[in-house]
Amino acid sequence: MTSTETAPVATDVVLRITGMTKRFGATTALDGADLALRAGTVHALVGGNGCGKSTTIKVLAGVHRADAGRIEVAGSVWTAAGYDARAGRAAGLRFVHQDLGLFPELSVAENFALDAGYPAAGPGISWRRLHQRVAGLLEAYEIDASPRTPAGALRPSQRTLVAIARALQDQERDQQLVLVLDEPTATLPQHESQLLLDAVRRRADRGQTVLMVSHRMAEVLSVSDDFTVFRDGRTVATLAGVRPTERQLVDLMSGTATGAATQPAAASAPAGPATAEPAVLEVAGLVGGPLRGVDLAVRRGEIVGVAGLVGSGRTSLLKTVFGQHEPVAGSVRVDGAPAAPGTPARMAAGIAYVPEDRGGEAAFPDLTLRENLSATVLRRYWRPWGMARRRERAEARGLIGAHAVKAASSEVPFAALSGGNQQKAVLARWLRREPQVLLLDEPTQGVDVMSRGDIYRTVRDVAAGGCAVVVASSDLIELYALCDRVVVLRDGRIATEVSGSQLTPDHLTELTQSTAGPVPAPGGTR
Amino acid sequence: MSLTNTETVATAAGNAAAAPPADRRGGGGSWRGHAERHALLGLLVAVVAFFSLYPDSAQTFFTSSNASMLLGNQSVVALLALAVILPLVTGYFDFSLGAVAALSSVLTAGLMSFHGWSLWAAVAVSVAAGAAIGAVNGLLVTRFGLNSFVTTLGMATLLGGLVQWYTGGQTILAGIDPALPQFGSATWLGLPRVVFIVALATVVLWYLLAHTPFGRRLYAIGSNPRSARLVGVRVDRSAWTTFVMAGALAGVAGVLQLARAGSATADNGTGLLFPALAAAFLGATAVVPGFFNPVGTIIGVLFVSVSVSGLTLSGASSWASPVFNGAALLVAVGLSTYLGRARGVRTG
Ligand SMILES: Nc1ncnc2c1ncn2[C@@H]1O[C@H](COP(=O)(O)OP(=O)(O)OP(=O)(O)O)[C@@H](O)[C@H]1O
Ligand SMILES: [Mg+2]
Repeated sequence: MTSTETAPVATDVVLRITGMTKRFGATTALDGADLALRAGTVHALVGGNGCGKSTTIKVLAGVHRADAGRIEVAGSVWTAAGYDARAGRAAGLRFVHQDLGLFPELSVAENFALDAGYPAAGPGISWRRLHQRVAGLLEAYEIDASPRTPAGALRPSQRTLVAIARALQDQERDQQLVLVLDEPTATLPQHESQLLLDAVRRRADRGQTVLMVSHRMAEVLSVSDDFTVFRDGRTVATLAGVRPTERQLVDLMSGTATGAATQPAAASAPAGPATAEPAVLEVAGLVGGPLRGVDLAVRRGEIVGVAGLVGSGRTSLLKTVFGQHEPVAGSVRVDGAPAAPGTPARMAAGIAYVPEDRGGEAAFPDLTLRENLSATVLRRYWRPWGMARRRERAEARGLIGAHAVKAASSEVPFAALSGGNQQKAVLARWLRREPQVLLLDEPTQGVDVMSRGDIYRTVRDVAAGGCAVVVASSDLIELYALCDRVVVLRDGRIATEVSGSQLTPDHLTELTQSTAGPVPAPGGTR
Repeated sequence: MSLTNTETVATAAGNAAAAPPADRRGGGGSWRGHAERHALLGLLVAVVAFFSLYPDSAQTFFTSSNASMLLGNQSVVALLALAVILPLVTGYFDFSLGAVAALSSVLTAGLMSFHGWSLWAAVAVSVAAGAAIGAVNGLLVTRFGLNSFVTTLGMATLLGGLVQWYTGGQTILAGIDPALPQFGSATWLGLPRVVFIVALATVVLWYLLAHTPFGRRLYAIGSNPRSARLVGVRVDRSAWTTFVMAGALAGVAGVLQLARAGSATADNGTGLLFPALAAAFLGATAVVPGFFNPVGTIIGVLFVSVSVSGLTLSGASSWASPVFNGAALLVAVGLSTYLGRARGVRTG
């Protein structure tokens, strides 16, 4: 900490929201929510899927206008109607959205300049001054990169940090900026997110104020000073300067006192399939992209996890099995028969794939929820006289109920669903095909703690019904909770495999990290 | 931005004007949804009423002869507009369709006049030529990933040149099978016969786009091609098919043009393309707001043509038509984007 800066007074509130209400048609997203952010703290905003967290942030960013309420930032007060994006920015709010908004092929320096402008040197650009300034910022944010590195070449946590540093780059003056992050770690693997949160924590220790949304309770608890809990658009708890337990937070979020939902009951999981069951999915010698010869067999009713570092080829493996990538060598067999190439053929063979990048690879944002749900089964509804809309709608409603998707109706545009509810709908879209082989890539990202248990239960039921399930996840607790067996991908091959009593989060952490140097095992408290 | 195939016109009219939170298609919608779906139709009725009562045009506007002429003359633009929306649904522009229609018109006339071909053979070859040009466009855009905007604009210029070369800049008047112009001016049930061809094309396209898995997949591609690929849609093949179908439909429009005019002028088709584009974008604000759709497109064609006809009959000069077409296009694009923003749905 520099000597010119004194520790922030922990009691002054820099951002205060009171009685915020926001309706979308018949849906009430926010119903008189309150939030108070103390200067120099990391403040976690938590709550179940669709409780209004993102809506709050979008109101602060000026994307939506609230119907009622009061917003107070750094001493200036607005009514809901008088607040807009410019007001928030002038008052010092800075946002980093989940897609970061970086241009991967441009250099880090250019990414900074596109936001703040290029320093001029006569009629041209002073690259020297730009690189100097950016190098200073990179150092301040502990980003291990040169200003000339393309942003896309950075590792995931560093990319997020670049986006954060860029958002805060005009913080030179006396003004205190407030950093707002909506699920910054949802798509990051565990230790990447740890790196990111450590860096955020260190900024906060030097006086940075941060508002953060996350569904990962362990993370939130490790980094935050204060907590605000939302439920159904209302603030149900504000915990300033006290450290709740995970169970207390979950109880507040769900409004029940069971607290058991968060414990992924691995012990209660069915004992897995008998070893006599035949292999449904057989992958042999798969080469292509980062894969250098993967062999994997998954039996009927078995849930196999795929662990590995970023870039180890987890997603490539699933996508190749799903026919998105043509392998250079190797074979994929389903039920003993070689699967024809191409996704349509693989789907016909009974393979289903829930992709990792929900917004980019799963969503049809402007189509309705119903159309998103039917995208995998369109032919079922075709009659010579047209699509059987009535039946389609009824079945969509059934799925919405069965998978607890929170939506006003089956006819809302998909983009109007909250992140976690979109994820549930994507899962539903594939499960309705009753697949033989279910490939899941980060299946619970953005899903709240309560629903996570529901999804695990659903996946187990599907497996019990005879499906072979492959789960790629960077959340090792998830793999521990869900899988009968976990394989570890390293350097494009399956390096090891663990099952039975060997399958513990700590052991998994050890195995995945073993080539990447020692990293303290986060989570894994059991 | 590089020349990739990821440009999304869908953002211009498509997803920008995505649906209201309430029920969107059919069924009981919200008040706002209803108002939006039927706004363009209401506007059309209002324009008809206005010019029927407006003193300068009242005598001539609301007469069956004017209506008949108007519908007949607009049939070519209407077919072209239907062709235009096919690639647009999947997110691609095809600016060459006007030139394809012009080429088809000249080719049909030329094959009969210069080479003595029979009417049917000439028509078949012209329509096939349209489909072939669409196939080339589609291949360049989907397989080779060229920007559809630039590619089809280049194709349009090239075809315009070919038309000049083939005709030597002359209008083809003689040697056309009289059966074709006769069909073009014939009426049935008091309406020009060509109108029924447009009606048939509209119904077929409506069925194809709204009531078959193929059509639903096209809208999925328009919404997010990467997601579409991951639910098993053959994205490139489907998009290519829309280019082929659009080319063939534009070929038919060219034949219809020849039937109406009785002669084929050396033209590059731009005069046809822009009213068709305006109609397509206007149509995307109606019936199924936010999505290019055949019925909305036809309402768009009628709205533009009725307005222009009314303006002309009440004494406006020849500049009124391009000014109106251009303004309608701008308003349509702007309106759909605004509606999308107002609802806070992804605004691209
Ligand atoms: N543009 C919109 N149109 C209609 N409804 C919307 C829109 N945006 C959000 N909603 C609704 O508002 C509610 C709150 O959504 P919000 O995105 O704020 O939830 P969230 O707390 O961020 O949830 P998650 O944890 O799943 O991301 C949801 O019911 C959602 O369906
Ligand atoms: Mg959210």
